[in-house]
Amino acid sequence: MTARRTFAALLLCFVATAATAGPAIVLRDDGGAEHRLAAPPQRIVTLLPSLTESVCALGGCARLVGVDRYSNWPDSIKDLPRLGGLEDAQVERIVALKPDVVLAAKSARVAERLQSLGLRVVLVESQTHADVRRSLGLIAQLLGTPAAAERAWSAIEAEFQNAAARVPPARRGQKVYFEVASDPYAAGAASFIGETLIKLGLGNVVPPELGPFPRLNPEYVVRAQPDIIVASQQALQSMAGRPGWSALKALPRQACGFVEARYELLIRPGPRMGEAASALADCVAGLPAKTAAATGTKDGQ
Amino acid sequence: MTTHDSLSALDLSVQLGGRPVLRHVSCRLQRGWTAIVGPNGAGKSTLLRTLAGLLPPQSGRVELDRQPLLNLAPRERARRIAWLAQSSAVTGELTARETVQLGRLAHLGLFAAPTAADEAAVDAAMHATECEAWGARRLHALSGGERQRVLLARALATGAPALLLDEPTTHLDPPHQVALALLMRRLAATHTLVSVLHDLTLALRADRVLVLRDGTLQADGVPGDPALRAALEASFDHAIHIDTTRSGRPVALPRLDD
Amino acid sequence: MSATLVPPAAAAAAPVLADAARRRRLLLTLWGLAVVLALLGLAAGPSGLSWSAWMADVGGDQAMLILGQIRAPRTLGAWGVGAMLGLAGAIAQGLFRNPLADPYLLGTAAGAGLAVVLVLAGATLGGVAIGLATAQWLARLGMVLAAFVGALGGLTLTLMLARGAHEPMRLLLAGVVVAVVLGAVSDLVTTVSPEALRGKQFFMLGSTGFLGWSSVWVLAAGLAVALPLSHRYASALDALTLGEDSAASLGLDLPRIRLVLVGLLALATGLAVSQAGLVAFVGLVAPHLVRRHAPAPQAFTLLASAAMGGVLLLAADVLARCMIAPQELPVGVLTAVLGGGYLMRLLKRQTSE
Repeated sequence: MTARRTFAALLLCFVATAATAGPAIVLRDDGGAEHRLAAPPQRIVTLLPSLTESVCALGGCARLVGVDRYSNWPDSIKDLPRLGGLEDAQVERIVALKPDVVLAAKSARVAERLQSLGLRVVLVESQTHADVRRSLGLIAQLLGTPAAAERAWSAIEAEFQNAAARVPPARRGQKVYFEVASDPYAAGAASFIGETLIKLGLGNVVPPELGPFPRLNPEYVVRAQPDIIVASQQALQSMAGRPGWSALKALPRQACGFVEARYELLIRPGPRMGEAASALADCVAGLPAKTAAATGTKDGQ
Repeated sequence: MTTHDSLSALDLSVQLGGRPVLRHVSCRLQRGWTAIVGPNGAGKSTLLRTLAGLLPPQSGRVELDRQPLLNLAPRERARRIAWLAQSSAVTGELTARETVQLGRLAHLGLFAAPTAADEAAVDAAMHATECEAWGARRLHALSGGERQRVLLARALATGAPALLLDEPTTHLDPPHQVALALLMRRLAATHTLVSVLHDLTLALRADRVLVLRDGTLQADGVPGDPALRAALEASFDHAIHIDTTRSGRPVALPRLDD
Repeated sequence: MSATLVPPAAAAAAPVLADAARRRRLLLTLWGLAVVLALLGLAAGPSGLSWSAWMADVGGDQAMLILGQIRAPRTLGAWGVGAMLGLAGAIAQGLFRNPLADPYLLGTAAGAGLAVVLVLAGATLGGVAIGLATAQWLARLGMVLAAFVGALGGLTLTLMLARGAHEPMRLLLAGVVVAVVLGAVSDLVTTVSPEALRGKQFFMLGSTGFLGWSSVWVLAAGLAVALPLSHRYASALDALTLGEDSAASLGLDLPRIRLVLVGLLALATGLAVSQAGLVAFVGLVAPHLVRRHAPAPQAFTLLASAAMGGVLLLAADVLARCMIAPQELPVGVLTAVLGGGYLMRLLKRQTSE
């Protein structure tokens, strides 16, 4: 009789505990919304390439059921359905995939629509290195593997240090002009690209006061006389033709031009920032040395 | 110095949008005032436009002084035939005088600058229509009647011996209608003046009246001719009655007896 | 007729003088503004407008480069593009007798935009197949040439669709159709190529940032052809205000005249768009501003619209450089604010008179 009562009491306690135990995952996304999930999501849709890459870097690649049109890494997502971009996501297809969670950026118009249709949308914003670290933590928590985030971030940090070591000492402190778009828009010291450059020991012609991606007066760049220019290869081809830009000492040889696919890597704030830093470091290391004689010739142009 | 131009329609048939508007119309217009009248949709404006060379006929032809009109270069034709549009939808910022000056385009073309002779012609045209007073006012700032006189001056300024006027009295009040009628009478002495008119009484003051109905010429004669008056009444389905005033002038009265 | 006529000479003389005086005053003001703004344009740089910066620039060793290679051609080019757009807008409004007409109506803008997008997409999709040496000029030249050819192409399509320049209404409608269709094709291309999308956005906003001496020569040549030719055909536009048939009755060869004017419109718009992208509002508002200050026949309005457009865009360019220096505002935003704001003021003043 007593054994049965004890067993019943224990059962009751167990049930009570189970009933009052909270959901397995509680997190607050970058949009300020709180999410409570009973279990880690098994079907994930991502609407931004950096989010796709983050999920895969944290080991959740197998759970992706749909990605956006611009996601192109890693290869394993090749066959996943493409659901459009942030501006024109295909709502019906996303809903048809029955995802447990949709990852999107804060600026996605489609988020509200999907939420009203009953889907769970987790908003993630990454503009700075700190953001990337935090979003990796957020996604790892979502995936139910919170420890993976720190592992991933440490790997990225290690790549930063590795890359920084490859930058020739002569190049340290040299000012970089990183062109993001040809109007010209530059990546300033306050942007994530700027932060990467700082970690590589390089400077920036654009000070942090001007914001992350200022639209510059072209004259500013000419006067700033950057030591190194980084841009897409297409932009570099026409750069010397811009009025006054032929006077840039960094053209044509102290310039890093990247084909579109590689250039995309540089401008994505995600888990491959370390790889981006390596690409930059390799390019800078590969630039011809600026000897005194060479500088003299360039002045005379 | 105006020449004696004769404007003839020879078996004119004209279609608009696939629909026949004029059927086998023939008439010969010479110096003097000819009025073209008829019920709505009779083809009066179409006849005038075809005579002015603005519409190509399906068959038949228009001749100016026995020469086919279509053989003439546009500017040559513009110097010999002036046409005044029916309604005056006005855009732009031209003053009255600048509008009248456009009449000299037929002589100057696009590229020549006006000479003293051109300015004199403009002055004379504005004087004849009595619109010199508002020469510097914008056309769109004038009333309908005032605008009509400026546009008539424009037609006069071309110096063409043939004047084709499409309902020139429409926007005018009675005093100005009278003034215009007197002007037309004066001009008819030296021009071949053809006017489409809605006002039958006014039309009966012309030298000659052409009656159109359903695209065919019903009558062509002088106002005093009883046959013309009968044809006129018939064309309007006897809704009007031509009577004579005590001084012997014909007048068109609407039948309101019932 | 009435005997109470005011002696014509006296009555007409006063208003005529006022008209001529207003035109003179407008032209003088526009030239004065152009000179002042040009000087400011030489002085406006990444530090905005400041006397010390100006003295440093003039005295510095880079003076020839900064002033001669960068600021001078940019300033002159901005005026030139504005003048082209102002002229094109005046022609469009005269040709269609519609105060809402602008130079981008006949498919020129859509054609230029599509061409630019195709060049951008083609360059990235095709990868880097061209050697660096030739690519340097080809890329820059390619964009400019593409935009110009695209503008003319868009117009040709419109003319074909409207079967000639005979009827203004049909021409306008054809222009709308072409703009929508070409715009859709352009959108299609940009969904495939994100690089093309970025480039297209800048093209749509318009930019005076990279106007160099080559741009200035091209614009000058274009103005040298377009201004006198427009002036010659100006009285045809005046005649058209009387109506199509009336203009024809004056002996004008309307089809040929319209073709010439449409061609001039295409030339002016194509040149402007190829150099500076789709700068908004200048072509629309410049003729309106001229008409508010000095209504006149087209011979004056066309040339004055060019001068007004030049001043408008030049002012916008100087402001774009100065307001958030060393950053720049998009010049198209400023032309809309300046031009639109001033027009609103004029309209308000007129209604309260």
